[in-house]
Amino acid sequence: MSTIKEYLSADHGHCDELFASMEDAVTKDIGSAKASYEEFAKRTERHFQMEERIMFLEFEQKTGMTQGPTAMMRHEHTQMRNLISDMGKAIDAKDKDKFFGISETLMILMQQHNMKEEQMLYIMAQQHLSAESERIIDMMRSMIVQ
Amino acid sequence: MDFDGLSVDQAPPIWAPLTFFLTAPLFAILAGFLILFSDAATLTSRYSMQTIAITHAVTIGFLSFVMFGALMQMLPVLAGVKITKVTIISKISYILLATGTLCMIFGLWFNIATLLLSASALLGVGFLTIIISMLIALRNVINFTASIRAMITALIFALFITFMGVHLLASYGVGNFSASHLLLANIHSVWAIFGFAGVLIIGVAFHILPMFYVAPKFKRFCKQKVAWLISTGLLLWLLLNLFFDSYAVVAKIWIATFFWAFATTVYIKLNARRRKVSDITIWYWRSAAIFMTLGTFSWVIDDFFNEKYIVLVSIFIGGGFIFSIMSGMLYKIVPFLIWFHLNAKGYMSIPTMNEMINKKLAKAQFMLFIVSLIGFIFSFFVPYLLPLFALSFITSMLILEYNIVIAALIYLKTIKTKPDFDMSMFAMKVEN
Repeated sequence: MSTIKEYLSADHGHCDELFASMEDAVTKDIGSAKASYEEFAKRTERHFQMEERIMFLEFEQKTGMTQGPTAMMRHEHTQMRNLISDMGKAIDAKDKDKFFGISETLMILMQQHNMKEEQMLYIMAQQHLSAESERIIDMMRSMIVQ
Repeated sequence: MDFDGLSVDQAPPIWAPLTFFLTAPLFAILAGFLILFSDAATLTSRYSMQTIAITHAVTIGFLSFVMFGALMQMLPVLAGVKITKVTIISKISYILLATGTLCMIFGLWFNIATLLLSASALLGVGFLTIIISMLIALRNVINFTASIRAMITALIFALFITFMGVHLLASYGVGNFSASHLLLANIHSVWAIFGFAGVLIIGVAFHILPMFYVAPKFKRFCKQKVAWLISTGLLLWLLLNLFFDSYAVVAKIWIATFFWAFATTVYIKLNARRRKVSDITIWYWRSAAIFMTLGTFSWVIDDFFNEKYIVLVSIFIGGGFIFSIMSGMLYKIVPFLIWFHLNAKGYMSIPTMNEMINKKLAKAQFMLFIVSLIGFIFSFFVPYLLPLFALSFITSMLILEYNIVIAALIYLKTIKTKPDFDMSMFAMKVEN
């Protein structure tokens, strides 16, 4: 049974893989890269929602910290959602330069964000929620994206 | 929640690291001019005053400015800690280090005792201020990762290097050299290159390569043991130098092996990276790996030539390895910092990172830098070529400075013009 930290960290890895595939697809032919983009965007949105709708809520309930690290992570999710949507528009406009400009920014933002989560928030979450970790992972796994 | 508060809370104010980054290439340009105006024959000796001045224009002025600027930026992200009173600390250390470095360079160049003694004090206090503030901040780390342990190790080496440097420089100031002066200078430089810069780069690479380039992760053994093994090697090297001088090469081979292994690993990881996009930072990582390989071998082999070629070794390692990585870092960190701070202020229409740095100019800068390095190596054997490559180095550094100044100007311009989509007025409250 994996821990919350292991489960969500592994999911970061999957998103990174899809990100790389999306960039590959755009390099080859931006005209037919939309499917790869959608795959990355969907997986990442699912990750955000697993946190926002399940893990963060449980963490906030348990610790009473609603304005702490989870608020900062939610804010960064918003920043990344904006960049992901801009990337989609660049693909629609077949603007490679614009796409790679945004993808580079997103990559660094995303990795900074992941580092903070993996090295701080997930560890805090694991400490506070270890007894419920199995239930929380089950909920995240079976969540339907809204 | 306050957007600005949020960004300030997690990252230092933009000018704290940015002033360090913007100043670094200026010292490299100064180093280029010093090379241009120096006698090539004098530079073949590592202990000539001119060589020491040029070396420190590069190592303190460029390398340490980029490294400390980057550390300031990375501590909150990599270690989850922030430096207390970061604005004041960065301002004080910046002023002390910048004036100290200038005093040192000109003090050595023109042999002015007052400047040398001032430099010793300014650099000593400047480095101690920033190093100790960072070590104090690192006491609050909750989750000690391999990277954080490497950072702490590097900073502890930095403390020793500072103490040794202060003593060495003061010796030039008073004109009185102890019997162990040359030995101390040797320890100072080897610990600075491998113990501080080397361990820091390796520690940060564990994170940066897999994350930013989606490269395979480093092996657990690598992450857990390498910083420790290198530190042991450096201590062993120190003891052998002090007591069994003729066996010091054993420790050299020990240290060189790990750095060579690291350089090879970097190259392999980059080849196996999932993110195939190739940018200027990848080129710099690759050149760093190649130069480090040449550097480690030549460092060991040089031992059998009575350190006749030590200047070449320092060009390979200091110029080819450390300088390459720091230049690459500038190209990644500066545009991101600007994007990040503008975004946190609520500006919506921000230029992308690619729009901030002119790719063609960045490539030209890289090429000129590599040509200069190779040229410096040739000039060791054909001294009259040196001014030519000093000029190419100066040009390369001017372009580097231009590239990051343009990015900084974009920041200032955006703040000044307040684009239509300025959201800063809504940045007071966020609903969760």
